[in-house]
Amino acid sequence: MKLKVIYKTIAICLLLSIVIQGCHLKKEVKLQQEPINDSISVWMKLSKNKSNSLVVREKFLKKSYETLKLRQIDTVVSRKLSEIAYQFLNINDTINFKSLNEEAYQLALKLKDTFTLADTHWNYSNYYTNRLVYDSAYHHYNKAYEFFESINHEYYAAKMLYNMAFIRGRFRDYTGSEGLIIQAISKYKFLKKHKALYSSYNHLSILQKELGEYDKALFYHKKATEYLNKVREKKGLYESSLNDGGLIYHDKGAYKMAISYFNVALNNDSLKFKNIKLYAKLIDNRAYTKLLNKDSVNIKQEFYEALKIRDSLEDREGVLINILHLSEYYNTYGDTISAIYFGKKANVLAKEIKNNRDYLASLKLLSNLDVRNGKEHLNKYIVFNDSLLHAERKIQNKFTRISYETDEYIEETRILVQQKIWILVTGLGVLLALFLMYFLKVQQSKNERLILETEQQQANEEIYILTLKQQAKLEEEKIKERNRISEELHDGVLGKLFGTRVGLGFLDIKGSSDTLKQHHFFLNELQDIEKEIREVSHKLNNNFNISEINFVTIINQFLENKSKIGNFTYQFNNSEDIAWRRIDEKIKVNLYRILQEALQNCIKYAEASIVILDFSIENRKLVIKVIDNGVGFVIKSSKKGIGIKNIKSRIEKLNGVFHIYSEINKGTTIHFTIPI
Amino acid sequence: MDNKIHKVLIIDDHPLISEAYKSAFNYVSKEDKTISFKIEVTHNCDEAFDMIKKFSVNNKKLDIVFLDIRLPPSKDEKILSGEDLGLKLNKLLPNTKIIISTTFNDNYRIHSIFKSINPDGFLIKNDITPKELVIAIKTVIVDPPYYSKSVVKLLRKEVSNDFLLDKIDRTLLYELSIGTKMKDLPKILPLSIAGVEKRKRHLKQIFNVETVDDKELLIKARTKGFI
Repeated sequence: MKLKVIYKTIAICLLLSIVIQGCHLKKEVKLQQEPINDSISVWMKLSKNKSNSLVVREKFLKKSYETLKLRQIDTVVSRKLSEIAYQFLNINDTINFKSLNEEAYQLALKLKDTFTLADTHWNYSNYYTNRLVYDSAYHHYNKAYEFFESINHEYYAAKMLYNMAFIRGRFRDYTGSEGLIIQAISKYKFLKKHKALYSSYNHLSILQKELGEYDKALFYHKKATEYLNKVREKKGLYESSLNDGGLIYHDKGAYKMAISYFNVALNNDSLKFKNIKLYAKLIDNRAYTKLLNKDSVNIKQEFYEALKIRDSLEDREGVLINILHLSEYYNTYGDTISAIYFGKKANVLAKEIKNNRDYLASLKLLSNLDVRNGKEHLNKYIVFNDSLLHAERKIQNKFTRISYETDEYIEETRILVQQKIWILVTGLGVLLALFLMYFLKVQQSKNERLILETEQQQANEEIYILTLKQQAKLEEEKIKERNRISEELHDGVLGKLFGTRVGLGFLDIKGSSDTLKQHHFFLNELQDIEKEIREVSHKLNNNFNISEINFVTIINQFLENKSKIGNFTYQFNNSEDIAWRRIDEKIKVNLYRILQEALQNCIKYAEASIVILDFSIENRKLVIKVIDNGVGFVIKSSKKGIGIKNIKSRIEKLNGVFHIYSEINKGTTIHFTIPI
Repeated sequence: MDNKIHKVLIIDDHPLISEAYKSAFNYVSKEDKTISFKIEVTHNCDEAFDMIKKFSVNNKKLDIVFLDIRLPPSKDEKILSGEDLGLKLNKLLPNTKIIISTTFNDNYRIHSIFKSINPDGFLIKNDITPKELVIAIKTVIVDPPYYSKSVVKLLRKEVSNDFLLDKIDRTLLYELSIGTKMKDLPKILPLSIAGVEKRKRHLKQIFNVETVDDKELLIKARTKGFI
């Protein structure tokens, strides 16, 4: 990005006391530009070149404008437009300036280009300053300030404040001016703009001088000088500063100090060539101070030298002050006619250039000098002074109103911003709360689901355990019944049979030997029957390991059921070493479920014709194998079914280890161990 | 030989059986005229005990008691079986000869009856034929004891074994064999659960059984004649 420097010059004549003072305020403006094409930049440069005639410059500006119109509309165009408008103002083409500036303004509005909005306002304020319409100028400065402030362009915002302070100072609204300049100073300090700080403190010092606070004025002047020392290119500012300092001492009545200040400034021989206007001002001021200090040496020559220079420069403000001084000089030294002559001349000139202050000063002077028309002059003075004060008060009120509106606007913006922040914060808060609530809800439902699942599982296990217990009870009852039958056989039937047999044996039976033999044979038969019954009774009673039977029985039953459904034959090897009674019910429940899943797989997918279930124990670990001769599957390629996953998760829950081996068309083996 | 009258008490809850015993005694006296019997029959513990007390109080002699082990218990439940009656007999009428006649043939019970009553005759009903019954009666009168075949077999087994099992060991094995639960054992035996476990381990060592399970132990114990 190429930066180009344009100089905008505003000449604002300074208020100043009866004495003198004109001040030139130079302002430096940097406009950002894109290295866009081209010719526009070149033409703009040419149009700014003051060595070219106004006609040529105008031609370049028009060319630039026409080329610009062809471009697509964007912020570059709006900024360029504003710049061209300003250049038209510089060559005093107010018609083109106004239409172009308005165009730039409208475009900026459309593009929401705040910078250009501010810049066009600045252009307007320059335009009105040139036309001496200060209230309108002030209004536009204020607008420009608001826009620069809103985009945080601190430097330009400070510049606007400075210009506004200047205008208010011009209308003797010293407090208003002071407030603005202090705001500007704080911004400049932050930006470390030494030259601007010098100008601002200088302005502040002049304000204090106008208020008669000479010590304060000197303090600020000193500050201004400090900042000036930090500026590299002083360009006569040093002498100008000395002039300002001298004037403060002059107003304070410390004429000797004032003279020494002016002397120091005039000691620079090159000043006469570098800044002849300032040189003239300095010798005029020194001569006038000498006059008040009753030192008449050479002062008449000096007054005339200054007047001659100012005349040649067409410095009318300077000339006006100069002749006022001369009038006083002649008055002091008794030449009333010359004094009146210069007084009247000053009066006319002041009226011509609308220098109210000097006009008043000339009237006052004349009222003292011109004995015959003294009263007339005095009346004129009073009337004009009144109207001036009135006008000043009016304009001051206007400034205050504009400022107040700005304050109101700022306050409104602040409130709006605050409201926005509140809305944002509340919105975010509500959103966060909603999100939290949602999150909590989700979490809660998740927990509930988990609890439900756990409960379900527990219920399942309880049901199973209940079933087991029921089975155990059933088994127990069965055994009891068996025992009862066994006892009945043993004690009842057997006893009676025994009694019958022995009783029969002792019957004195008579008959053939065959009959007796037969009798004996039947007795023996009876004894054998007794023996058989006893054996049956014993077998019925032979029932230890009741509860151990349960789990294995259940598994057996289960296998039998499944084998019927799945149409397979099964083999169940249960190692005698496993004390099922002592194994935790939880393990048994899970084992049962695992076997359910495994057999389900055998039936559903494997189409097995043989299933082998093997329970054994090794190092206090249950080793279980489920082997089938089904179709098998490729373990890696097949995504694990829910069945296998369930089996795995159940085994892992019991801290067990799970393996599965499978071969296509050869079958599948599930092998796992569970610690007990 | 003196014509002696032997006083006999038959205790059996089956009239059929007591009648059979009676026939046996009659048969003996018919064969040998010098022996005669005066036979009393009772069918339950209360009657039997009353009778025994009567003999004891009157200082009368009771020669032989035929005693069944499984009997309905006495009404006051102090006498639960023939075994208890046998104990009372030993105490009240020490000179009376007792013939145990039972259907029990499990080794544990036989052993325990031996230990508590030390009968003069021990008959397992299934072994007995009328002939044998006669021999038994005669032997007990003349030269006791008489043991039937199963009892002799058991005694032989025990003698040939080196195992030394005390009463608690035997009870434990017996209780396990009838399926008593581990947690109920301390109520039956003067042992804690840990004590029971310890004894079981010890028994497994004795019978050289390595499995954790009790089944093996019980099978071994049964073959060795302890239950």
